[in-house]
Amino acid sequence: MFTHLSVYKRSFSFGLVAGCVLVFLSLIGFIAIIGQIVFGARFLTMPQYAIMIAICGFLAGLIAISRRQDEAGDWKPVLAIGAFTGLGTGILMILFSLAMDFIRTGGADPRTYLVKLSPQLLELYLFDAHWLIAAGLYLAALIAGGLLAGVFIKAVIQADWRKNLMERGKQQVNQLKTLPVVLKLQANKHANPIMIVVALVLLFLMPYVWGSYWNYVMGTVGIYILLGLGMNIIVGLSGQLVLGYVAFFAIGAYTMGLMTSPVPLGISLGFWPALVASVITAALTGILLGLPILNLRGDYLAIVTLGFGEIIRILIKSDSLTSLTGGPKGLRNIAKPTLFGMNFSSDVNFMHLILVGVLVGIFIAYRLQNSRTGRAWLSIQGDQIVSRATGVNSYFYKILALALGAAFAGVGGAIFASRNQFTGPEDHILMVSINVLCLVIVGGMGSLPGVVLGSFVLKGIPELLRDLTDYRLLVFGILLVVMMIARPEGLWPSGRPRIAEILQNRKIPLDEPSEEVPA
Amino acid sequence: MEQSKKRNLADLNLSKSLRSLFGIVVLALLLWRFYNVLFIEQTYGPDTWARFAITGLIIGGMYALIAIGYTLVYGILFMINFAHGEVMMLGSFAGYFVFELLAIIPAPFAANPEKGFLNALPILSIIIAFLVGMFVSALSGYLLERVAYRPLRTAPRLVPLISAIGASIFLQNAAMLLFGPQRRPYLNPDWLSRGTGWDVLIGGRSVLITYTGVLSIVLSALLMIGLYLLVQYTKLGRSMRAVAEDKQAAALMGIDVNAVISRTFIISGILAGAAGVMWGIHNGMINHYIGFLPGMKAFTAAVMGGIGNIPGAMLGGMTLGILESLGPAMLGIDFQLKDVIAFTILILVLVFRPSGLLGERLSEEKV
Repeated sequence: MFTHLSVYKRSFSFGLVAGCVLVFLSLIGFIAIIGQIVFGARFLTMPQYAIMIAICGFLAGLIAISRRQDEAGDWKPVLAIGAFTGLGTGILMILFSLAMDFIRTGGADPRTYLVKLSPQLLELYLFDAHWLIAAGLYLAALIAGGLLAGVFIKAVIQADWRKNLMERGKQQVNQLKTLPVVLKLQANKHANPIMIVVALVLLFLMPYVWGSYWNYVMGTVGIYILLGLGMNIIVGLSGQLVLGYVAFFAIGAYTMGLMTSPVPLGISLGFWPALVASVITAALTGILLGLPILNLRGDYLAIVTLGFGEIIRILIKSDSLTSLTGGPKGLRNIAKPTLFGMNFSSDVNFMHLILVGVLVGIFIAYRLQNSRTGRAWLSIQGDQIVSRATGVNSYFYKILALALGAAFAGVGGAIFASRNQFTGPEDHILMVSINVLCLVIVGGMGSLPGVVLGSFVLKGIPELLRDLTDYRLLVFGILLVVMMIARPEGLWPSGRPRIAEILQNRKIPLDEPSEEVPA
Repeated sequence: MEQSKKRNLADLNLSKSLRSLFGIVVLALLLWRFYNVLFIEQTYGPDTWARFAITGLIIGGMYALIAIGYTLVYGILFMINFAHGEVMMLGSFAGYFVFELLAIIPAPFAANPEKGFLNALPILSIIIAFLVGMFVSALSGYLLERVAYRPLRTAPRLVPLISAIGASIFLQNAAMLLFGPQRRPYLNPDWLSRGTGWDVLIGGRSVLITYTGVLSIVLSALLMIGLYLLVQYTKLGRSMRAVAEDKQAAALMGIDVNAVISRTFIISGILAGAAGVMWGIHNGMINHYIGFLPGMKAFTAAVMGGIGNIPGAMLGGMTLGILESLGPAMLGIDFQLKDVIAFTILILVLVFRPSGLLGERLSEEKV
């Protein structure tokens, strides 16, 4: 009995936390926006809003119940946890409706202080009624949502019929695998190359079909894939956390700008020599930065490189270097590439260039990862002391990783500057580094498909969420936290076996000598 | 052969002799520059120097308060609480709203109630603003730990850092969505309006010592002393130090590790909230972005003083504040570059003395 009591208490306090979240989301108008997307309406009606609140209660209940799974197996406790969570959330919402009532009777426009809280929203939050009625509605909707979550878990997720269905689904997938067509395809050794060629042709046709907007978005994704490949070498393979990655990106972009733009230096080189120059300067910067700081502990390295990135950004923005970098105005008229006298003026051509760049980049990264060098990096990441003891020159390989990662960033920066024909300090803010790091981690550290997937998720999906414009970064922040809690190894983890798994799969524990080896 | 050559090269590059050579060159350059600015060019008179130093001291006090939060959390969880600057920003906003609210409600038992609570009872208003700011920051610090860090207690070290970055982005944008992107003027009581203070004669010219600045310095000093006493002499402080040393052993000694960690975040939040309100009162303008740079610099300060070391964080904060405000003038460079100075100091400290000025205090196993 007492254990149950503590479970209820805890789900109640969990409900309070969920209530804080709900109040906050209401204040920024997030619930209403989501509701508008869900119902496809411009303004939510009151019943629709009530349904949204019930859905919030449902979600809170789901989380609360799944957190207490081992303690609550039966119908009654599960339902009770859901209800208590709803109660906790509801109490917060009662306070919320009281506060809203206070603002409403105050008469002043709440938007002076809370920019999203329009009068319509205020009426919606109070259900256009006395606050006690609104409070009662909130409480009822949330408790109902929590109870529904309990019912859902018992009747759908833990139910027998669902398990049976899953079994049957698995069987059918297995049957599909043994179909004669599939087997034939697997046996045919030409199948793979043909598939790759078809995919490549499709990839090169895509830019014609998409139109310029999607070319722009996909071009950005492509550039971020290049950056991610470099970052993956530094963080994912050699295990050094670098937060100032944007510095190399900026150096690539500015080298491209200074070498080709007619204004500050007047060099007016072509695109290709400038690209090479960008790569070389970026890599050299990587080496120079790496030499003094490589021995630092992981998070110190992160913070030093973060400082370095900020230094570069402040320097290119500052007045004292305006003659060279153009200060806040940046560099204009950066050259576009030409090839055999042909101009890459259209966005389709540029998209092709980025595609080629990405494919070459993936190839290089793949070859590096599966070489002696790649294994050396992995061993340093695993344990630097052990890897040095086995003869890996850890300093050399760490510097190499930094230089190569920086070189990738240099390419990315150069292409970025050339595509926009402009680069300025606002292109090189800390968010770029954070985005790249996040795409590597969200994709799965050390995994090349992960980098590609991560780029699409982090740079592509925000474009799809255009309805959420203001809320994009907010959702991004939430996703990062949720991702780290729910799936820290990334969306597409690298296939590398981890030591814990190897030990688990071994029949014989390490301590005991195996029977095959004579003692 | 090839291999050994490479190894020699790498060892040579990172050898101590080269590093100290680099250090001597940097130091000589700096001294030459100081000499030039101070004695040959004589750009600034002593009054200007005094003004810079005072600014540095005030900012340094705020950095120190925030830095203590970083140091406490790093000492216990070995993670950079990337969102700590945002916690401070939230405290600053709380103080702002308290002032705005107090300005419109009448004072209950004051001599001249028509002036509004804020100006009728200025001291009480300031105290309330600080208390509310500290409370909001403490609450957000606590929630932050509960939501974003506690589930990751056993994860590899990169994972909580990413989560912290996510939380930081979230809080920044949350504040932007709640309060709007525009800068808001902080409404001080008239008694404490910005730009008023005592005039002190230095080198024949008057230097203004603002009331807001004095308030900030005194309050940060008091809070720091209080924190030091708390950590050294109370039961909570003892258990915090024990958890920082060894979580498992502390748990075996009957310490509720999770509660101690929560309280650490609350204490960090209180200090950051005070710093946030000070920031608003002294600098006058706030928006959702004010937490970021002070946060970064306060971390710099914590590293500079030796992470995990509370007096170190105080010293580091003060030093950083003063260096940052004196630095551009000393070196005779653009004042826009003061952030560059802060970050350059960070890099130099980490390269030459990674354990900080006063030495870091972390348990052996994690380092």
